[in-house]
Amino acid sequence: MSIEPITGRYLTVTVEGAPRRIYFEEAGQGRPVLCLHTAGADTRQWRHLMNDAGITANNRMIAFDLPWHGKSLPPEGFETEEYLLTTEAYIETVLAVIDGLGLHRPVLAGCSMGGRIALQLAALHPDKFSGFIAIEASDFQPAWYDIDWFHRPDAHGGEMGAALVSANISPFAPNAERWNTLWMFMQSGPGVFRGDLSFYTKDDSLIARLGDIDTAKTPVHLIVGAYDLTCTPEDAKRTADAIDGATLAVMDKLGHFPMSEHPVGFRPFFVDALKRMPAGGAA
Amino acid sequence: MPWAVLRNTRIGMAVKPALMAPQCQGYEEESAMIETFHTMQAKLEATPHLLRLGRLFSENVLVQVGDDEIYLTFDKGHLTHVTAGPSRKTPWRFALRTDGEALAQFWQPLPAPGFHDIFGLLKVGRGNIDGDILCLVKNLRFFKEFMALPRAKREDAA
Repeated sequence: MSIEPITGRYLTVTVEGAPRRIYFEEAGQGRPVLCLHTAGADTRQWRHLMNDAGITANNRMIAFDLPWHGKSLPPEGFETEEYLLTTEAYIETVLAVIDGLGLHRPVLAGCSMGGRIALQLAALHPDKFSGFIAIEASDFQPAWYDIDWFHRPDAHGGEMGAALVSANISPFAPNAERWNTLWMFMQSGPGVFRGDLSFYTKDDSLIARLGDIDTAKTPVHLIVGAYDLTCTPEDAKRTADAIDGATLAVMDKLGHFPMSEHPVGFRPFFVDALKRMPAGGAA
Repeated sequence: MPWAVLRNTRIGMAVKPALMAPQCQGYEEESAMIETFHTMQAKLEATPHLLRLGRLFSENVLVQVGDDEIYLTFDKGHLTHVTAGPSRKTPWRFALRTDGEALAQFWQPLPAPGFHDIFGLLKVGRGNIDGDILCLVKNLRFFKEFMALPRAKREDAA
């Protein structure tokens, strides 16, 4: 038997004028590192790093489920609402969690759409953070698929979504972790992956803001996997090139969900990223 | 109409006798690919979870490898017929088009980026998918795993 050091609790914050009950997990102590999951998934993507004693010895790893995701409920009245994530609501939620948890300038680590919003926050709210780790993140990715495929009455959106995103997982990923990663997509609530993709594939507002990022004040480090078909190394490089002073690491054997699909392969890249971030303040 | 479409038709045989040699070579390659799909047919029958995933899948699928067309007839997840084309009489729900070298890479235990997934083949410009793509997406896990059946198992690699 083993009990993991990760603990989970709930936090209620106000977003868009209404309460959101948000589930968050944390492990470790020291510099706060706030972790954002990808579209259609949840906090479990960070399970390996949060169980990594070498990382949690000096880093307070915190991850939360966005409303509608994982164990965070959708807002009251969701049954008649079409879920469509927006940049504004996403930013408001991240800032509300930081304030709610009393975090002082955490490092922000986000993957995929979490990496996208990390770069938005680097441009718009750098004073709230000490640095940014943008994983599988790019300025903009138009959809090569129809996002409406993933919310239909005649098919299981979660299973279709998992089958689609499996294209972004490296063949080097251990099989068990490949399927653990896909399971989160299979469990995603109806319409949630679609609503996340709406944000990810339609909002291109970051492109014009990349030049506003001041890496002298808040470093920005991008990490991208060669097997990521959604955010390719070329996409990440284009984005890094547009941010003066940003750095980029390419992972030859990893895909779009590196912390979840292949934790052993991802660990050195994440450790390297943390070294590039300021020592930071305490919570 | 491109030569690729005509080459196995009676018209093509009649008016292009000088091209018999490459045609024979083409038949050999086609025969090898047909044999591969027959092997996949047998593997599918020996893969219970795939048959369960495909239990509602009864469609004709066209796989085009280079110039060769192969029609796959699925019935409730079973691959009942593997038929060499071309055929103008066989309707198909969706088609995957690629080339033999790309497919050989796709079937490697650890394919290079882009060759690790059928959508990756599209991304690297070595494949196309057309027809009723929603039908494919509804049955995506089944079809992807079917197409990957010739891929050799590999040990988990660090």
